[in-house]
Amino acid sequence: MSLLNVTDLHASVITDDGAQPILKGLTLNVRPGEVHAIMGPNGSGKSTLANVLAGRPGYTVDSGTATLTERGLLELEPFERAQLGLFLAFQYPVEIPGVSNMEFLKASIDSLARARGDEQPNTATYMKQVRELAASLDLDPAFLKRGVNEGFSGGEKKRNEIMQLLLLQPKLALLDETDSGLDIDALKVVAEGVNRYRSANNGVVLITHYQRLLDYIVPDFVHVLSNGKIIESGDKSLALELEAKGYAWLT
Amino acid sequence: MADLTLPTTLAVPEWLATLPDSGALPEVLEQALNSPAHRERWKYTKPAPFVAATQHPMIDPQISGETQSGVVLRQSIDAPLAGFDLEQGPEAIARLCYADRVLTLDISASANEPIVINHAGNTRPMVIRVAAGVSLTLIENANAGDNAQQSIWIELAPNAQVQHSRNALDDAPSHWQYLNVRLQAGAHYQLNNHVTGCGSRRQDIHIIMDGQGADATLVSAGKIERGKALDQQVTLEHRQPRGQSKQTVHNIVANGGKCTFNGRIHIHEGAAGTNAQLSNKNLGMGEHATINTKPELEIYTDDVSCSHGATVGTISQDALFYLTSRGIDRTDAEGLLSQGFLRQCIDGPLADQALATLTGKAGEAA
Ligand SMILES: Nc1ncnc2c1ncn2[C@@H]1O[C@H](COP(=O)(O)OP(=O)(O)OP(=O)(O)O)[C@@H](O)[C@H]1O
Ligand SMILES: [Mg+2]
Repeated sequence: MSLLNVTDLHASVITDDGAQPILKGLTLNVRPGEVHAIMGPNGSGKSTLANVLAGRPGYTVDSGTATLTERGLLELEPFERAQLGLFLAFQYPVEIPGVSNMEFLKASIDSLARARGDEQPNTATYMKQVRELAASLDLDPAFLKRGVNEGFSGGEKKRNEIMQLLLLQPKLALLDETDSGLDIDALKVVAEGVNRYRSANNGVVLITHYQRLLDYIVPDFVHVLSNGKIIESGDKSLALELEAKGYAWLT
Repeated sequence: MADLTLPTTLAVPEWLATLPDSGALPEVLEQALNSPAHRERWKYTKPAPFVAATQHPMIDPQISGETQSGVVLRQSIDAPLAGFDLEQGPEAIARLCYADRVLTLDISASANEPIVINHAGNTRPMVIRVAAGVSLTLIENANAGDNAQQSIWIELAPNAQVQHSRNALDDAPSHWQYLNVRLQAGAHYQLNNHVTGCGSRRQDIHIIMDGQGADATLVSAGKIERGKALDQQVTLEHRQPRGQSKQTVHNIVANGGKCTFNGRIHIHEGAAGTNAQLSNKNLGMGEHATINTKPELEIYTDDVSCSHGATVGTISQDALFYLTSRGIDRTDAEGLLSQGFLRQCIDGPLADQALATLTGKAGEAA
């Protein structure tokens, strides 16, 4: 059974000079319980893959398919993909002044609950849960009253993404460089958060430049993305090899 | 243009005749009304109905908190204030002439309770004088009704402090609010202004920093629905050194709504060490949202720090994607973002009512 299946995906970014092909036949299969790391040079298309899967405006899918739990993703609105169980931890989470974290998270869990046909969680229970999660990720609970990511440090923004991952419990988590810009302690906190999320029923696609992260979140597969395609796949030892030799030997 | 003609001949009240430079007041006002600078202030709103309504019969505003010790309410005024401005507020001065009475509130000691002024219609002009070192919380609510107008002058003596909150959230066919505030040395003034568009709503705000080290803050949130209009004209004058002013004005304009914001900062010669900031952000919610924003800066002195920015935009696509990527549907996400945009400028004692009307939500202000 496949959790996330991407087959021969071709996608372009829309620029002022027209559509520019970035993904050029990408295939990836994630089964429940698996963690896949995607590594690759700057500009190879890693964020593009994450964005296209999550439905960010500004991209076109030229051909290929992507499914989550065997349901087509590409024709859905971003909120429908999230309701289906997709989660993107952003490389650069935006700041939204005026919308408090609390209000945002409540709107999110209520929407997801409604989509599942569940009852909306009771506010007190939810607040307690959010506070506990925040504390477990070393986020000062006072942040909940502030605007979404407003005035957060780079590291706090990334921890907030993981907080949301743990709160929303998606089926598939796409983590786009969640380790970048983290100090070593924050890296451990984030990795510990991701490991807490991992289960036999969900999957993780981890985009990273650093093999260091993979010491804490041990992947089942490591893929190298270059020029819009996966050019090499292996286990964790591939990451070590890349660390030693760079990407040049593969291309 | 016949538009800017006063409806009937003015009878200048005796107490106003001592106004400096007034000369023959009716002619002076007629001239001021038709000056190019003043016509510019009426560029986007038809002035005729507003000018005509200056002579409509007036009622008293409902006032509470006026019986506290240190507060005196008079049914008259003895002399013009230094803040009276023939050039910029000719309609307001005309209104003083047409009024049978002008109310004066003298605040000579810090009041425990706020002074609350409710305008249920076209209300008589008011003058509020706050004595040196005294602090006052002033709350003003307009429920305008047809063709209503308000004109208020606030005079802050040295080191006086006024926290002014004002809501104009009703749906009058036409409503005009004129506010003039003059600050002497070391005085602090803050206005939290919450407003909706109505048939045609006009807010003129003239703040004069007339003493060293005065400090003024204007925070305003406005929402203009389809078919409604709001025109805000703000002039902030720094006449003396080391004044600080900060203005933050957010307006959200629905498809088919019309919003005008004209923010002028005038830093006079000799106002060294002034720090003046103005940020006006407008959010248009459809192709047919009409937004006119005009920043104007006049600086006649060196050694000032001044920032002046006006933006017209739509909802941030990045923010929208972030919210929808968490399962929130597009309509809800847009709602959260537009509420958030306004909430940044909703604060003070009238925040709850403003939140309910402007964002459709009760809750905590920014
Ligand atoms: N909005 C955009 N406009 C123009 N070009 C874009 C846009 N988004 C991506 N690109 C281009 O697409 C290519 C792939 O970018 P992408 O962000 O997917 O790379 P990446 O592998 O995530 O890189 P990094 O490791 O630096 O994060 C790059 O050449 C980039 O310049
Ligand atoms: Mg990237």
